[in-house]
Amino acid sequence: MNPAITVKELRKAYRYSRRRRGAPNGPLRALAGLFNPDIVEVEAVAGVSFTVAAGERVAVIGPNGAGKSTTLKMLSGVLEPSAGAADVLGFTPWRQRRALAYEIGVVFGQRSQLWSELPVRDSFSLLRRIYDQPEGACRRRRDALIERFGVGEVLDQPAGRLSLGQRMRCEIVASLLHAPRLLFLDEPTIGLDVTAKAAIRDFVREQSLNEGQTVVLTSHDTRDIELVCERVIVINAGRIVLDRPIADLRRFIARKLVTLQSQAPTLALELPGVARRPAEPHTTILEIDTRRTRVDVVIAAALALGGIEDVTVEDPPMEEVVHEIYAALDK
Amino acid sequence: MRSTPRWTSRPIETLLAELGAMAASFRAGLGAAVAAWPVLLGRAIFYGVCLMVLTAFWDKVGSQRLSGAFALRLPPQGLATYVGVTEWVTLSVPAIQLKLEDDIRGGALEAQLLKPKFYLAQAIAGQAGGMAARLLVLGAAALALLAVSGRAWPSAGGIAAAAVLGVVGAAIGVLLYGLVGLTAFWIRRVLPALLIVQKLMFLLGGLFAPISLYPDWLRIPATLSPFGAHLAFAGQAVIGLSVADFWRALALQAFWLAALSLIAVLVWRAGLAKTLKAGVS
Amino acid sequence: MNAVSTYAAQSLAAVRASFADRTNFALQALAMIVNNGFWLALWFMFFAGFKQVGGWRLGDVARLLGIIYTLFGTATVFFGGYRDMAGAILRGEIDPLLTQPKPLLPRLLARESIPSAWGDLVTGLLILTFSARLDLAGALLVAAALAIGLVAWLSTTVIFASLGFWFAGARSLSRDLMDFTLLVSTYPASIYSGWVKIVAFTILPAGFVAMAPVALVRDPSPAAAALATGGAAAYAAIALGAFHLGLRRYRRGGSPES
Repeated sequence: MNPAITVKELRKAYRYSRRRRGAPNGPLRALAGLFNPDIVEVEAVAGVSFTVAAGERVAVIGPNGAGKSTTLKMLSGVLEPSAGAADVLGFTPWRQRRALAYEIGVVFGQRSQLWSELPVRDSFSLLRRIYDQPEGACRRRRDALIERFGVGEVLDQPAGRLSLGQRMRCEIVASLLHAPRLLFLDEPTIGLDVTAKAAIRDFVREQSLNEGQTVVLTSHDTRDIELVCERVIVINAGRIVLDRPIADLRRFIARKLVTLQSQAPTLALELPGVARRPAEPHTTILEIDTRRTRVDVVIAAALALGGIEDVTVEDPPMEEVVHEIYAALDK
Repeated sequence: MRSTPRWTSRPIETLLAELGAMAASFRAGLGAAVAAWPVLLGRAIFYGVCLMVLTAFWDKVGSQRLSGAFALRLPPQGLATYVGVTEWVTLSVPAIQLKLEDDIRGGALEAQLLKPKFYLAQAIAGQAGGMAARLLVLGAAALALLAVSGRAWPSAGGIAAAAVLGVVGAAIGVLLYGLVGLTAFWIRRVLPALLIVQKLMFLLGGLFAPISLYPDWLRIPATLSPFGAHLAFAGQAVIGLSVADFWRALALQAFWLAALSLIAVLVWRAGLAKTLKAGVS
Repeated sequence: MNAVSTYAAQSLAAVRASFADRTNFALQALAMIVNNGFWLALWFMFFAGFKQVGGWRLGDVARLLGIIYTLFGTATVFFGGYRDMAGAILRGEIDPLLTQPKPLLPRLLARESIPSAWGDLVTGLLILTFSARLDLAGALLVAAALAIGLVAWLSTTVIFASLGFWFAGARSLSRDLMDFTLLVSTYPASIYSGWVKIVAFTILPAGFVAMAPVALVRDPSPAAAALATGGAAAYAAIALGAFHLGLRRYRRGGSPES
């Protein structure tokens, strides 16, 4: 079967004029900038190549500015690349944008597809017309999605008034109304609470498994990757540094950080699968390998010591994960 | 913490402190307006376009040989400089009513009331700073456009008189818009009050034509109204104003400046009393 | 046609959304009616004293205002997305729209409907009813003038809004340019001459938005029809060209993001 996405040496360079250091702000500087611009070329994507099979779920991760969103925009037809080739479901995205649009669903985390002043119901109905969907089939699909995502009670509210979690759920429903073969999700769970994230992750994974939908997801959240995707592409500074099945990466991302504030300047806590990180007095930062031990076990042990004033449980920052991956590659 | 100054115990000191704070507000408003210089530039261009249209209009009217009382009342040199002055004043008045509406309805007022200085005076002083920047930039634009147009210049005295009456008139404009803003204590949106006051300013202030052209039944009330004091006198200065009339105009302006300030303080107190009892409706 | 019905659905949805806050809607629309009434009263006063300017009388100005208010009202109610189009471009709001299968420009125009424009529409229609010839020929001329002016106005606003593809300050600049063009449009054409007239037919195309259509009604002739229609068509072509050039630039350059 043909791959859903084939990317060959895709590049994207931006040119913009950089502020001259030390020059005072004001009308004179603006004039000077017109005649003597300091043009800088930045390669947001410096030559990426990969293939995605139909029905695969791939996560594209990397630090801020790595080129993830830019790559996604090129694959969905929003941006034209500076060089390289791509085939998405048989189309060249930037040349056959409208034909491709019927086949893909896109959720940009920070930008909305919904009409913010209109009730969500109206947005769905308008989108049905935009995608030329027959009414009957679309309505059934819509009702099933509304039920699955539990957005029935917000249908009559304007999208602009919904909470972020409600809005993102509606965005995902909107992106699936026309039964796309391929789903692009750019930071879909950013800013959401735990319940909303879980709902979205579960659904996306199920859809793909049941309907054979291909999913390409970018995220800063390691759990998004763990729970939804089967393969991870790591991008850094516009290049792919790693392209592996998720199992290989679990070593790096099956981790939690627990930060404890205590009355005592230090805590005597030694447990298997728990490493200590440097911290200030009264603060203890523990790195837990969740495949070897559980977070609640560690916290219980800490609480048993007494004098704990605060407990924070976090995922390790993505930059660290990528850093670690680099370090592992160097070896 | 009181929101009004301690007049009873130390009036002079309190007054000086208030004035000092107002001066600081004024400087801050002026600085902010200068920093946003593209906006000032845009306003100057808008001024130029308005004048382009209005002077074309009045030149056309003036070039026609008309008979009748109206035509005779038109000043011989045309109304180009007149609209130049009235538009200068009008475009310099900042939209203080928007700031007051936002603060009163948006709840920022509570934070302001906890400060030991008189909020309304601070707000007006800050807006006056922005107004000063506009008066200067638009005034420079006016003189530049006049020079480029090749028209006859008004007398030096006329320009000076227009400048004085214009600056005071603009201050009256701020107070008028300020009163509009204060209606936010009682009505949800100040837009209707703004429209009414603005149209009165244009009509009774003579934005497009001097009120000397109006019939008596309109001209006399206009001259005595705060709207006339805001706009009409400054414009009249460039088409012919005797020295006696100048002082009379200035006296009327001083009167309205004081009266509107007093009204503003009273309305403010009433609004505050209502809010402290009943909240913002 | 599918494209027309899709557009109508979006535009009507935007109109419904503008009704959502009833008080605000009524306030904005009424305020505009009062506002327009004021300007009419001023003109009334002027003509009471001056009788005519450059051959234009009260009736001519009334017809001008009737046409301008009606076409502006129609444009801003049913195609109101033009007003903040530059802002939408600068905020990157067109990205999700680019992933959808329909053309971008109609989507952007149909997004928003401005409540106060109903006041302009009502005022304009009232004036036209009272001041224009009520026979079939007169009504057809006015309808033609409205259609031509509408195309010219929307084209003008699209050109101004497309500046958002090039300049960061385009949001307020495009609004200002639109306001200037309207300002120039609401005065009798007879007052303009020389370089002001040139500006009115080029940079601030009040000439094609107002003057040519109104001249068609005032003094119908094949020449007037050709000027008005040709001008509007030319501006429409420029508008489409500017928008697509800008969109191409946007899709090639974009903005640096992760």
